[in-house]
Amino acid sequence: MFAPNTNNAAVKTTSYKVVLPFYMYAALSFVVATIMLFFSSGTLLHHYFQPRVLATTHTMALGWGTMIILGASHQLVPVIIEGRLYSERLAYASFILAAIGIPLLVYAFFFFNMGAPAIVGGSLIVLSVLSFLINIALSISESHNENVHAIFVLTATGWLLFTVTLGFILLLNFIHILLPEDSIRYLPLHAHLGIIGWFFLLITGVGSRLIPMFMISKYTNTRLLWWIYGLINGALLCYTILFLLQAKEVLIIVPAVLFLSAVTGFIYYCYKSAKQRIRKQIDNQVKVSLLSVLMMLLPVLLLLLIIILSGLTKKQSTIITTYGFTIFFGWITAIILGMTFKTLPFIVWNKVYHQRSVSGKTPSPKDIFNHKNFRIMSVAYLLGFAVFSIGILTSTVLLLQSGAVLLIITSVMYAVNVLSIMQHKAENGNDN
Amino acid sequence: MITNNNDQCALALSALEHVYDPEIGLNVVDLGLIYQVDFDEVNGKIFCAMTLTTQFCPMGESIRDNVIRSLEGSFPGFGVEVDLVFDPPWSYERISERGKQFLGH
Repeated sequence: MFAPNTNNAAVKTTSYKVVLPFYMYAALSFVVATIMLFFSSGTLLHHYFQPRVLATTHTMALGWGTMIILGASHQLVPVIIEGRLYSERLAYASFILAAIGIPLLVYAFFFFNMGAPAIVGGSLIVLSVLSFLINIALSISESHNENVHAIFVLTATGWLLFTVTLGFILLLNFIHILLPEDSIRYLPLHAHLGIIGWFFLLITGVGSRLIPMFMISKYTNTRLLWWIYGLINGALLCYTILFLLQAKEVLIIVPAVLFLSAVTGFIYYCYKSAKQRIRKQIDNQVKVSLLSVLMMLLPVLLLLLIIILSGLTKKQSTIITTYGFTIFFGWITAIILGMTFKTLPFIVWNKVYHQRSVSGKTPSPKDIFNHKNFRIMSVAYLLGFAVFSIGILTSTVLLLQSGAVLLIITSVMYAVNVLSIMQHKAENGNDN
Repeated sequence: MITNNNDQCALALSALEHVYDPEIGLNVVDLGLIYQVDFDEVNGKIFCAMTLTTQFCPMGESIRDNVIRSLEGSFPGFGVEVDLVFDPPWSYERISERGKQFLGH
């Protein structure tokens, strides 16, 4: 009746000791980034190439988004590839290298000091990503299970390495002339490789596995996922070629439409998964994650607007800033806010309760975080996001500062909840 | 030597109805994770073939250990061996009618 090759090793997952430092670091980065956002509110009304804006953007992209995704990936990649993580030592190396490199780089941007802090910080970040890529590639290779989700993750990490390497070259280009043009000219390429190649590709690959899994959905559509994969990578390659050829700005509509098709395909995939779910009640964490999928449409529509308005310089600059804000503080932040409280309680629950009998008295993972805090945080986040976005579009400093205060409240509540989950103890104190 | 009788298997399954998947909140029997339970009364062994909703599930070790503890507690003197089986893999079709009702389906 059953295949004889049983596999008791399939219960050994990545140690919580590897994963938790990434979550802690990301939570602190989020608080720092929202405080920096408050103090750089005024500068946002000018061109986006400003030291404080660059510092805030990299705190969000690396300290917040990338660190938490790296941490969660070390736990989730074994689920996706149905195999073990190749090396926990490489995972520690990724963390330590990035944890030292990111503040150095952010410091360099904030004070616009492109000397040693920028070079050391940048090279440590490249090494961190390289460690992660090697770990993921060897994990997939040893699992012999190259499914579509694993290919999304591997390709996304490849794009991340490309992004940080280009970023490092741009840093060097500030001091020594390495590229034919000024570093500022390459910023859109650097940004889009990171946003679409890393964040979007990875979130789509992992989300398309986790969202149906959490809802116990009957829906599977590997063919659609391969189409989405092709559209995203096609859009990126097309954009890179057009960018390097310095093609007319209006031609960017081609990769933008390819990308819009990919986003629409992923929204359709999530909609069908939700429609065909067995588990009728969707918890708040999954609701926020599903909302973030819809929030992907905002930056795509803004991108189309940017292309249409190309030439109307002043208006375009405001929309570009809104575009960047809706990406980092919009869908990337929303999916992290939702998925943190879906994944972190599992990790901590396993640490505290895995050697105990699970009876009716044992709390479940969802019981070990503060739901009231989560609801207030979600409201503060949505309000802060909306107020700040309107502030950029209407160039109103008061709205920008009010929005930033709401986002600071969001980040502090998030960090408090994350810390309280990490400090959770079994009720009689006999935890493992 | 497997010497199953239906009463013992029924007792084992009712014991396993107290082992829950912590994330879903449904017991492992109604979730369809238990494939087979065999008793070797001569050698005092219980063999349980079970699966997980996904390989390398972060809760897998906890669920497997609780299945062992539950059977050991219900059948003192018996040793328990659990084999994790992923062929056939788990699918939603394995959820019992009672389990589907619990999930609101």
